[in-house]
Amino acid sequence: MSKTIIHFFFLFIIMILAQVIIFNNICLFNVAIPIVFIYFIIKLPVTLSANWVLTLSFIMGFCIDIFSDTHGMHSLACTIIAMMRRNILKLYFPREDDLTNPEPSIHSLGIGVYTKYVFTIVLLYNSLIFLIESFSIFNLGLLILRIITSTLLTFLIIIGIDSITIQRREKRL
Amino acid sequence: MRNLINFLFKYSTWIIFIIYVIISCILLFNNNPYQHHIYLTSANKISSSIYNGTNYITSYFHLKDINEDLHHRTSILEQEVISLRKELQKYHDIIYNDTMQVTPALSQYKFKIAHVINNSIHRAHNYITIDKGSNDSIESEMGVIDQNGVVGIVNIVGENTARIISILNPDLRLSCKLKGNDNFGSLVWDGKNPNEAILEELPRHAEANIGDTIITSGYSAVFPEGIPVGIVIARANENDDNFFALRIKLLTDFSKLGTVRVIKNMMKEEINSIEKSSKNTN
Repeated sequence: MSKTIIHFFFLFIIMILAQVIIFNNICLFNVAIPIVFIYFIIKLPVTLSANWVLTLSFIMGFCIDIFSDTHGMHSLACTIIAMMRRNILKLYFPREDDLTNPEPSIHSLGIGVYTKYVFTIVLLYNSLIFLIESFSIFNLGLLILRIITSTLLTFLIIIGIDSITIQRREKRL
Repeated sequence: MRNLINFLFKYSTWIIFIIYVIISCILLFNNNPYQHHIYLTSANKISSSIYNGTNYITSYFHLKDINEDLHHRTSILEQEVISLRKELQKYHDIIYNDTMQVTPALSQYKFKIAHVINNSIHRAHNYITIDKGSNDSIESEMGVIDQNGVVGIVNIVGENTARIISILNPDLRLSCKLKGNDNFGSLVWDGKNPNEAILEELPRHAEANIGDTIITSGYSAVFPEGIPVGIVIARANENDDNFFALRIKLLTDFSKLGTVRVIKNMMKEEINSIEKSSKNTN
């Protein structure tokens, strides 16, 4: 148990630093922005109580807000995503008791379900972020283009991170 | 009482969810950038030290030292240009109206060099963080320029860091005019392209050609008159029939911002004290 806590503590810090130092400076073709730190929310164990998931996600969003001067945008989106996470998982994987490992991954969910789960969360998160951002500047075509390209970019990076970590674990075993 | 506790336990997830959403919304809709607290922006100690660390590494790519020497040189030269321009203006005024006395405000503006440690260009509201703060006598509402043109206005000041509202932020409106004829309008970013902005509220009769230069008007005491801002590339649509708008290509390249200069207006305190005393007498 304490091993999992330490694992997630480091994941939290690494995700914030990675987002703030590297991914916040990327903007492909002036539209696609990778929002990679939600990997932390995706990875939180299914067995963790909803209150903890909400609190951790809110703190995560709040930290990103402070670093990138976005004032509540990411905290709001993170809280909403944390609330919907369980339902999204249930939608694709109704038998929660069959899970071998409480942490959602390719191994515990199967590659099809896991990619669908990640893609849904990333798409929802990007839509939320760009909708909240465009309260003041409204341009529908650009908004949709931004959501789609950012979702694809984020999804690719998250799947990439996942494949790296899984390989390492297998080597250790 | 027992029922209440049971109720709170049963719906604790929803209660926590609603509390977090309310906190985020308060942060989100507290819109005025001048009201943001320093701990909640990128000018706080932890984030500025992290940005400082990354900047220390990445600045090697931009050959920091050579740049700084060049900037130092240009800032001295620019100061000289401004003082000479003022002198010229003075003689102009004397020729046109020799009864009126013009104040010799030659050393009205001073420049401070600072490095950009955090910068964004692709958000809806963009801010820049620099590594100089109140210890280097930076104050809020000072103008910031780089070697090409205007960058933004200082907004929140920490001990060693300060946050700047970039021109690429719809909250900032800058008074500018066309070089050559003194028709002025206000420059605002439309949120689409980080290289372009719109000069609005130009009077209908003003003449403007593609390729004309836009400079600061000097009406606001934040920027001295005549700092280049951009070049006219097209006409834009304005809703109001009495005014027209121009699409401007900004001279400052915000994606390559490294070293900037903060303008200190030496007359500002004088102006403030005059305004204060006039308020007191009222």
